Amino acid sequence: MKNRALRRVALVAAVASTSALVLAGCSGGGGSASGGDGPVTLTVATFNDFGYTDALLKEYMDAHPNVKIVHNKAATSNDARANYFQKLGKTGLADIEAIEVDWLPEVMEYADLLAPVPDDLKSRWLDYKVKAATSSEGNLIGYGTDIGPEGVCYRSDLFAAAGLPTDREEVAKMLQGDWSTYFAAGDKYVAATGKPFFDSAGGTYQGAINQVEDAYENPDTGEITATENPEVKKIYDQVLKASATQSAHLGQWSDDWMAGLSNGAFATMLCPGWMLGVIEGNAPEVKGWDIANAFPGGGGNWGGSYLTVPSNGKNVAAAQELADWLTSPDTQIKAFENAGTFPSQTDALKNETLLSNTNAYFNNAPVGQILTDRAEAVKVSPYKGTFYFQINDAMQKALTRVEDGTQDAATSWQQWVTEVDALK
Amino acid sequence: MTSTLERPTRSAPAPAGARQPRRIGFGQRRSAWDLKFSPYLYISPFFILFAITGLFPIAYTAVISFMDWDLVRNSGHFIGFDQYAWVLSQPKFWVALRNTFSIFLLSSVPQLILAIFIAAMLDQNIRAKTFWRMSVLIPYVMAPVAVALIFSNMFGDQYGVVNTTLQNLGLPAVPWHSDALASHVAIATMVNFRWTGYNTLILLAAMQAIPREFYEAATVDGAGKVRQFFSITLPSLKPTLIFVIITSTIGGLQIFDEPRMYDQYGTGGADNQWLTVTLWLYNIGWGEWNFGRAAALAWILFLIILIIGAMNMLVTRSLVRDEGGRDQRSRRERRAQARAAKQRLAADAARLSTPTKEARR
Amino acid sequence: MTAVTPAPVPVIDRDLPARGRRRTRAVRGSRPGWFVYAALGAVLLASVFPFYWSLLIGSGDASTVRDPNMSWIPGGNFLANAAAVMGDPAVNFWPALMNSVISSGIIAASVVFFSTLAGWAFAKLTFRGGPWLLLFVVGTMAVPMQLGVVPLYILFSELGWTGQLGAIIVPALTSAFGVFWMTQYLRQAVPDELIEAARVDGATSFRTFLTVGVPAARPAAAMLGLFTFVSAWNNFFWPFIVLDRQNPTLPVALSLLQSNYFVDYSKVLAGVLLSTIPLLVLFVFAGKQLVSGIMQGAVKG
Repeated sequence: MKNRALRRVALVAAVASTSALVLAGCSGGGGSASGGDGPVTLTVATFNDFGYTDALLKEYMDAHPNVKIVHNKAATSNDARANYFQKLGKTGLADIEAIEVDWLPEVMEYADLLAPVPDDLKSRWLDYKVKAATSSEGNLIGYGTDIGPEGVCYRSDLFAAAGLPTDREEVAKMLQGDWSTYFAAGDKYVAATGKPFFDSAGGTYQGAINQVEDAYENPDTGEITATENPEVKKIYDQVLKASATQSAHLGQWSDDWMAGLSNGAFATMLCPGWMLGVIEGNAPEVKGWDIANAFPGGGGNWGGSYLTVPSNGKNVAAAQELADWLTSPDTQIKAFENAGTFPSQTDALKNETLLSNTNAYFNNAPVGQILTDRAEAVKVSPYKGTFYFQINDAMQKALTRVEDGTQDAATSWQQWVTEVDALK
Repeated sequence: MTSTLERPTRSAPAPAGARQPRRIGFGQRRSAWDLKFSPYLYISPFFILFAITGLFPIAYTAVISFMDWDLVRNSGHFIGFDQYAWVLSQPKFWVALRNTFSIFLLSSVPQLILAIFIAAMLDQNIRAKTFWRMSVLIPYVMAPVAVALIFSNMFGDQYGVVNTTLQNLGLPAVPWHSDALASHVAIATMVNFRWTGYNTLILLAAMQAIPREFYEAATVDGAGKVRQFFSITLPSLKPTLIFVIITSTIGGLQIFDEPRMYDQYGTGGADNQWLTVTLWLYNIGWGEWNFGRAAALAWILFLIILIIGAMNMLVTRSLVRDEGGRDQRSRRERRAQARAAKQRLAADAARLSTPTKEARR
Repeated sequence: MTAVTPAPVPVIDRDLPARGRRRTRAVRGSRPGWFVYAALGAVLLASVFPFYWSLLIGSGDASTVRDPNMSWIPGGNFLANAAAVMGDPAVNFWPALMNSVISSGIIAASVVFFSTLAGWAFAKLTFRGGPWLLLFVVGTMAVPMQLGVVPLYILFSELGWTGQLGAIIVPALTSAFGVFWMTQYLRQAVPDELIEAARVDGATSFRTFLTVGVPAARPAAAMLGLFTFVSAWNNFFWPFIVLDRQNPTLPVALSLLQSNYFVDYSKVLAGVLLSTIPLLVLFVFAGKQLVSGIMQGAVKG
């Protein structure tokens, strides 16, 4: 028994010493050779799906034999965000790091830690894409990749049951106009079927608030103006009034909302290009989804990404070359073909492959053309300062409280005002 | 049949004594040093490793709680207790505290009772022991993504399984994601699902150490299973019960994963219905990047945990001790018998070393 | 050398009158009734049910998770999904599995060893400052560690250890939880008399630990090892931050399956179930250590 115990201790000691050997022997992750024309390993970190397949990256590697590209994907964009800010300015970021447009307000505070995009490239992208990522010193710190121009996705079968037009041209005509036009169509639908017209107040509000130039903050002083801005109150009231009868009250990305995509809980939705895959995936057996070339208020954009090059990386010049190539119009079109990521480059918007692209699930809609039209219809690049997302999240919660029935519109607004005031 | 309590004095180790004093002297010196310093040696690996990888994060969190800290630039300026004051002045803090306590009570209390009960059953002489015992741990190993998926499917407000079943039975649907208490119940269910088996096995391991003979003697004396449980099992379990209660308190007041997984945003609900203190802490730190403020909240929570933990421990100590009536007697008995057994062993040793003594049996 | 530990307990046996001894044997041999099995059955059902649900989704296809009329019989796709997960080049399954096994194994062994050692000292040895040090250990458990990744990362990037398995192993080599548990367990499981007896026989402190403490600790040590292994195995955030994508642990590798706007949950859950299999194997080994009457066994041997 004594021997058994001793043997057990010896085993543990053996494990411990083996581990020491393992730790010592584990050579660290590759450091790439220093710049110049010697062999270079570039790491590219993305999330979701940018369309950068191995075949695509191989094209670059074939053209640049001294470059090896290692492509890392993060699990979700939230994880990627935590990782990004944890390591920005320190070691550990890839040579090229993808960021999402929602992170920009925070990224812009650290614009000095990112290598600026050469000035001559700036005309490559849409105006609002460039403006959002330009620092106060005038440096563009991100190579734009994709954008999320929105149309209106609708269920033609549910429209038919309500006596509304089903052909996408006619639907576009019906929805042409501003938000009151959209809600008027909604009233017609609800009167005919008694079922909700759109998925949530939150999603609808988002489409509307993104059309307001300086919704929450003063771009020159950074002061918070959200609670005094009459536009914000107007949109809040309008959306909630319509939501009372037209909203399915399903918070976006919730389990219930994903079920709603297939069970007909709502008839329309504000739809960026990347949402098409989500709808198809969640409602594969539904035949009625279609997309109309219209958007209340003209144009809307939801989402989009950039590639950034941390300025303390080991291969900044080589990384910038690669980022340049990855975000060139031709490469972006190829990425679009791989993953449906809609290009943000003005030249790409004229590309035949893009314009002739159709989507079989959405009743063979010419999504390339539709989304291009919608992208060009976006006139406003809303200013998003440091507090934008805190204020907007608080607003989303305020809307949800009313949708849940927890509070009425006036009380919820008051609570939002109190929360925003605490930020000042 | 010979009572072992009688000791013939013949077996006193007189012959062995001639050799022993020299041996004892040497052993005494070594054992004195041994006794005095070896404890520190045994606990030092923990403290050394803790000093390297545990102390630094704690110190860091403490220091930045007094600063306006920029994570990226790894710098900040000192602002004293401002972060603490801000946290305590927020209505959100008190809401989060309320939620935390509510979920803590709804989860820890049923969990503990259930764990003791299940452990007591698993302690018995059931067939296929290993299968039954390890099956309670299966919920603990389910990966978070699976747990989140299954439970959000179950507790969906409109199309979830629970509400659909309730409605099929003619009962009203429960607003799981808008009513605060309903959300606490759902989250507590998730927590209990995950941790009950864990605590069960901790208690079971402790129950395994209780000598079976106590139960047999008690059964012979006519005590039923329930009486045995309260008079033998629970008092013997006291150190482990204290352990389970303290760790449940600490864990319960720090509940984070389940409220975070409860909806798609991870922010604790539109009206902070299920926002716990650690969830708020995480969102202030990793959401708003205000690490100084998050650190202040962490230390406030630490103080709260210390206070509640101390309270719980005192309560446990007084509660369990009162049950130990029967146990005292058998412990005294045990000591007497241990002393007797020791003397017998010493006698055997002496006997073996002097072969002239005849064997007693 | 004499046998170390006399047993106080068997003495009771011999003291009983013959009639009582027969009844004792009958008592020891009795099996619990149907109520116990029914209750345990209910517990089994509740524990396994969500796991089974995962299997249903993992053996279907991408639309199964949303299907309101999902069948209760597993579909036939599990092996296909599992093969897809294991073969996916982005997921890097086998190296990740190896990394997880090595790191979790080392962590579990180390935690058990150091916790038992420290627990023995706190429980059975008296030394100055003992109670206060134990209180300190417990107190460290009360500090919320959500922010801890940040300073840890700073520390390890200074040391140049990012990307190496050592970065996830070293911070986890001991745990306050383990020390506290072994302390409380040894307090109740080891009668002081046994230690006295050992000391009388001239055993050193360490030998006493080996011959009395280690065998006594077996059930709790097995459970501690199992729990530590599982928690190290499932740990996501710290390995995600500190390791390279090329050298991940299993949860980090499998999380790649969720990196799209539309997630195919059948593959995700198939991957999750795959990563649970090694843990279930470990269950069997650890479960066998939950043996009662450890001290009697140690004595008779």
